[in-house]
Order: sequence, then C-alpha cells, then structure tokens
Amino acid sequence: MKRLLQIEWLKLKHYRPFWILVGLYSVLIILVVSSIHPLFAFLSSKGANFQGIDLTIIPFYDFPDIWQNISFLSKFFKVFLAFIVIISVSTEISNKTLRQGIIDGMSKKDWLSAKLVLIGSLSLGGGLLLFCGGLITGFIHSHPDGYGLILYNVQFLLAYVLEVFTYLSFALLITLIVRRTGLVMVGLLMYTFAFEPFIWVFLAHPPDNFNFPAWTAIIGDHLPVMSLNSLIRVPYQKYALREYQDYVAIKDVVVVIAWLVFYIGTSYWILKRRDL
Amino acid sequence: MTVLSTQNLTKKYSRLTALDQLNFEIEEGMVFGLLGPNGSGKTTTLGMLLGVLQPTSGTYQWFQKAPSADSRKQIGAILETPCFYPYMTALQNLKVVAAIKECGTDNIDNTLKTVGLYERRNDPFKTYSLGMKQRLAIGAALLANPPVLILDEPTNGLDPQGIVEIRELVIQIARSGKTIIFASHLLDEVQKVCTDFMVLRKGKKLFQGNVKAALSDQRTVEVGASDLEALQRCLADFSGVQKLEIKDQKCLLTVLPEITTTHISTHLFDNKIVLNHLVEKEGSLEKQFLKILAEQ
Repeated sequence: MKRLLQIEWLKLKHYRPFWILVGLYSVLIILVVSSIHPLFAFLSSKGANFQGIDLTIIPFYDFPDIWQNISFLSKFFKVFLAFIVIISVSTEISNKTLRQGIIDGMSKKDWLSAKLVLIGSLSLGGGLLLFCGGLITGFIHSHPDGYGLILYNVQFLLAYVLEVFTYLSFALLITLIVRRTGLVMVGLLMYTFAFEPFIWVFLAHPPDNFNFPAWTAIIGDHLPVMSLNSLIRVPYQKYALREYQDYVAIKDVVVVIAWLVFYIGTSYWILKRRDL
Repeated sequence: MTVLSTQNLTKKYSRLTALDQLNFEIEEGMVFGLLGPNGSGKTTTLGMLLGVLQPTSGTYQWFQKAPSADSRKQIGAILETPCFYPYMTALQNLKVVAAIKECGTDNIDNTLKTVGLYERRNDPFKTYSLGMKQRLAIGAALLANPPVLILDEPTNGLDPQGIVEIRELVIQIARSGKTIIFASHLLDEVQKVCTDFMVLRKGKKLFQGNVKAALSDQRTVEVGASDLEALQRCLADFSGVQKLEIKDQKCLLTVLPEITTTHISTHLFDNKIVLNHLVEKEGSLEKQFLKILAEQ
C-alpha cells in the first residue's frame, strides 16, 4: 500500500494539471466553507430573501447543521477530483506507461490498487479539507450552544468521502473503457449534470402519454449519479421549516457500495482481459 | 539453469494466429537472438512473456516458476518503443521504475552514466531525441541489475552511431554474464551479438540453434590463380575440400573445419601453382537464415 502510494505520488507530483485541479477543488471547497454568510449578507442588502426569511439570520454554519450544509454543496465539485483520475488513467494508457509498469514488475491488480489508493487519498483529502474548514468556520460563526454538538452529524462527512470515492471509481471505469481524456471529461460532465438528471425526471414524472409502471421511478433513483445524490439529501428546506432528511440512510449507503463493488470489479475484469 | 521455458505458447487474434504452439528454452548466460521478418510473432512472444498479452493457450515459466509480477522484477525489458512519462525528467522517470521494481534509488546515477544520459538527467523526457529515449529505456531495463534482459529491436530508428553504441552496450552487458533475449529483424546485428538464435516465421518456429555452429557450416575459402584449370584440378585432389565451385574466375571451397588457408596455400605451392587470391570467408547468418527459409 505504501509502495503503491509512493508510485502514484512520484508520477503526479511533477504533473502540472494535477496541481491545477487540486488547487481548483481546494479553492472551491474553501469558498463553500467561507463565503455563504458574506454571500447571504450581500444578497440581503440587495433585497433578496429565502421564502420570506431574511437571509442574514440563516444559521448556515451552525454546529451541527454545518456538516450536512457544506457537504451537500461540496458534492458538486467532486468532478474536479474525477478529472484528476481521468487524466491519470488515460495518460497512462496513451503513453503506454501502464504497459511499461506491468513489464517492470507491477501486476494488473497492483496497478488498479495504486489507482484506488490515489482515489482514496483524494476522497480522504477532500473530506479532511471539508472537516477542517467546517471546524474553523463553525467556531467563527456557530452559536455557542452548538459547541457541544460539534461532532454530531459528522456522518455526513463520511458519506461525502464514500460518495467521492465511488464517483471517482466510476470515472476510473469509464476511462478504462473509453480511453480518451477529453471525451471522458466532457462525457462525465454531461452525464452527471444533464443526461442522468434528465432521465431521472423523465422516469419519475413521465409525460402523460407515457404509461410507465411505478417501478421505473425506482430505477431512476438507483442510477449511478442519483444513488450518490441520495446519500446526502438537500437540507435547506429546514430554513423554511419544512421536513428534510437529516441523516444518512443505511439503504442508500448499501446501494452506493453495491455500485462501488461493481465499478471496481468491472475495472479489474476489463484490465485482466485486455491486451496492453 | 533454465531461465525461461515455454510450452505450446499460442496467441490468436480472431482469425490470425500470431503465434502457434511455440516451445523453446533459454539457458542462463545465453545471448539469445529472436529472429524473423516483421510480423513473424517476435513482439507477440515477448509481450506474452512479459505479462502484457494474454496467451490464448500454452504456458511459460521464468526461473522455473509460474510467471508473476515478482518474476518480472528480475527482468529488465524494453518492448517496442520507449515508454516514459513525457513531462518528467530521466531522473524522475527512473525513480518511478525503481519504486516499481523495489530496487532502491542508489543505482540511478550510475545507470544514467552507463547509458550516457547523466548530463541530461534533469531535462524532460519529451525533449529527448529518439536515440536518447532508447538509451533511457535500456537504462531503465538495467536499473535493478537484473539477471535477464529483454531487448526488442533496441536499435530501431537509431542512426549508425547510435546502433554501434547500443551494440557495444549489449556486448558489454553480455560479458557480465547476464542472459539476454534480443529480438531483431537485422541478422547482421544478431550475428555480431548473439550466442544462440531462433527463427520465427508466421508465428511458427523454424529453427533454433547455436550461432557459431550455424556459421561454421558456412565457412568458405576463395582461391584464385592465373591458370584456373590447373588450380581446379589440383584442388580437387586435396583431401580437405568438401565442395568446389567456380565463381567469378575463382574457386569457392567449402572445407573441413580443421583446414586453414595455410594448408591450402602449402598444398598449392607444393604443386607449383602460384596464387593471386586467397581469402577465408566466415559465413553469415543471413545466408543461413535464407537457407532455413528456403528449406521450408
């Protein structure tokens, strides 16, 4: 494990696109944990409100709500980490360094494990950044009553790490299949933010002339990206005093882990069979 | 010790059989030439032996054990083109190789000096010429000081000077007692470097043998004199001659291994024939190769 991490580190530490993407992701996470209150204040000064509530009184960064609030927002930026995985895998294929690595003495399992170690490091790094940022911003903004509940609901950060890990494994599998950096990047973006949401809406609320049975909506809920989205549910209705899911459901975790096993298993199967 | 053996190694691509039931063995210390025209299955064979191609059927063993990633750490190999991270320097690339081979980084500077890249070690790989890339690939293969080296067309695309450099390097490495597998379609190359060779064509093994033995079969002596007829008559009486041909106003002799030009010259001198030409010619693998192909 240490050897595999070292190999990945040696490959990436001199690679500029890696650092650009890490930087971009980190900046966005830092914005998530620092900019919401100033943003609310600004919007409020322009006369905006949230369903009649003054934005400046929304306790966005209060313990323990902060964990669900910031991890929900941060999930949109996991694509930048996925880009790192896509570039790392596709350049190894196009430069034939994957092939050379096998020749030099890695097994295909080693190679895949090294990529999973990279994915794990990125996911944990993301989770850790969010945790530290959340702690700092929480202590600055939280009502002192929340201090006793700092670590309550940290489950959302664990769910965040699982979500990123699974999404990056999904990106790994797609890259192994498609092998073209640009195509996979654009494709993943389109799929995540356009195709799958569209399919989900279509299955959940079909137009009147489609007579879909009820279970099609269930399929929609279990598509790769939608399953991930189910882990951390939208928390913001609470500020309009509406119901929301304030926990991570075991069932959702199980679905995500099933997808994860599928991604890793299929990646290994493809790699094992393929002539390099 | 047997370094490598294969049993019925076969690779099929849908309709094409790239390699058909290959059986061969390589002993420790051999410099083994893998010969054959382009597309004869040389790279396919090496690809399977190095774990990047899946054999359709058949098996092979490195160091008399089932192949594994660990056995590949004992092998330094280049297969076709040099493959490195283009944005990284020679030094950084070799560090990756060292981490994969778990051989430590102490040998990197020496290796870079051996292949003449030490001065350029901090330049990115993508700025290298083809010859430098090829030399770095050889350096990477040598890095872990492996007992076995596999060099697939190592002089491909090099200029004449580069070819000589690589050849010298291979000879030097071979002297250190390493086993080398050397794939090439350049027969001259193999003749200069190898102890043993195997000929492949269309995925089938045509021949396997010792280079010296193959060449000694081919030794000829050219003899010329102003009186060609007298020369021919006199040589026909000489007991060491196995075969006599006339070509370009000269006698072409195939002689027993113990017969030297001194014997021939003495015999003719005793018979009062004055020579104007006497040359001993080593055989060439090229001739042998063409003969093998023709025999099929």
